[in-house]
Parts: sequence; structure tokens; C-alpha cells
Amino acid sequence: MRGRNHNEDDGHHGIDLAPMLDFVLNLLIFFIIITSFIKQPGVKVTKPDAVTAEHKDNGNIIIAIRPNGDIWMDRRKVPLADVRAIVERMHAERPEDTVVIAADKDSQTGVMTKVMDEVRGGGIMSVSIGALGLEQ
Amino acid sequence: MRLRRHTREEEEDGDTGIDLAPMLDFVLNLLIFFIITAVFVKETGITLSRPAPSNQEQQKKPDEKGTLFVAVHGDGTISIDKRIIDPGAVRANVERFHAEKPEGPVVVVANVKSPTGVVVKVMDQVRLGGVYNVSIAPSSSGE
Repeated sequence: MRGRNHNEDDGHHGIDLAPMLDFVLNLLIFFIIITSFIKQPGVKVTKPDAVTAEHKDNGNIIIAIRPNGDIWMDRRKVPLADVRAIVERMHAERPEDTVVIAADKDSQTGVMTKVMDEVRGGGIMSVSIGALGLEQ
Repeated sequence: MRLRRHTREEEEDGDTGIDLAPMLDFVLNLLIFFIITAVFVKETGITLSRPAPSNQEQQKKPDEKGTLFVAVHGDGTISIDKRIIDPGAVRANVERFHAEKPEGPVVVVANVKSPTGVVVKVMDQVRLGGVYNVSIAPSSSGE
């Protein structure tokens, strides 16, 4: 790199910025990739507690169900009929992703089971219900 | 910044190098933006066994062998074999069932109007009772 040659030739002792720049760029690329992987629902729900809740690897697609039955995924409210198409698209993009349904503990089970059926219809068979482990 | 001074010197010397400083500033800003917006989610949850019984009529038959059905009603009450039980008693019932039929699955027959919190609690109790093969079946009847 230009700066390095310049310094060495002239006997200037400046900090060599090139490795720092490489490092920063790598960090930047890492964070850009990370942010695009996780599909946040965009709303906050009160998840039920469960002692046997376990960590889900690749549980990157989160579908939230509010107490009034609204379904949120990918930072917007979606009608039930659209869930299948969205899941199909996400499944095509990253086939290893699994779905976590974060249903509010006051929401109706009927909505959750319908969403679950739609997700399975969309091609993702591994569905789990979001719950808060008590040890956390 | 050191780099800027160097490039200024280069300009004074008539040396034509690309000034890296604005690019570095820009990249650093971008980096900070992405660090702030990044969320590291570690989702926790209860995984259901598959296939999920979406056809509830077939699964609801009480005479089906080797399956324990736990019903959650619309008002949040729980019953096993048409007997209303306390949420804390689910675990004991499941443990007894598990001792008799270690391979037998448990199906939570949840009324569509039942609160999800109760259903998850029941599933948690079933798992504590030793049966991890839990699935959920919706029921719309007014039982």
C-alpha cells in the first residue's frame, strides 16, 4: 500500500493503517451479514415461561402473535393467508432456517395452530413455540 | 489524523496518492451503524414433534391406543379423560402414563380459544413428566 512504502522509504514513523483498515472492513462485512440473517417480527410479545425451553439453533425466522390475534413477521403485520408465501420465500433463500412462533401467552391457541399449519405448508417442518426458559 | 498529514505532505511533494481518510471515516461510520442495529437473538422454545396433527378428528379418538390426550378448554381448564385436573397434576399423570407406555406420545388437544400460555405450560409439564414427544391438536368444539 502506498502509505507503507512512503513511510519506509522516507524513514517517517507513522502508524501503519493498512492492517487496521483490513480489520475494520472485515468487521463491517461480518455485521452486514449478521443483520440480514435474522428475521425479527418487529413487535414485542410476552412469551410464556417453560422450564424445559431449549435453545434453538437456526431459529432465525420469528413469527409473533399478539394477544389480539395479529400476526407479525419480518417487521410488519401480515394476514394469515400471506404467511405461507413469505415462509416459502424465506425457505428458498436459506433452507436451514427454522421457525419460532413467539405467541403471546394471552393469545388464542387457534391462531397459533393455524400459523403452524401455514408454516409447515410453506415447507419448513421444524416449528417450535417460543418460551422463556426459567433459568435465564 | 496521521494519514491526512501524510497525504498533505505528499501533495506538497507533488506526490499523487489517493487520500484514504474520507474512505476510512465512511467505513467506520458504516461499521458503527451495523454494530448498533445488529441483534443477536438466541431464541428459546419448545419444539413440537412432527407431524403435527392438523386433522384433529382423526387424532381426537379417545380409544386410540397408546396416546395420552390432555385437553385444554377455552377457559383455561385442563382435563385428562374427561376429568378436570389441576395444572400441577398434569406432570404426575404424564409420569404414570410414561411408566406404563414409555413410547407413547402425548397430544395436547387445545381448544382454539384457550390461551397459549396455558397450552405451553401444559406442554412444559408433559416434558417434565418425561414425554418429549408432544404434539398439539386444535379443537373447535365447545367441550
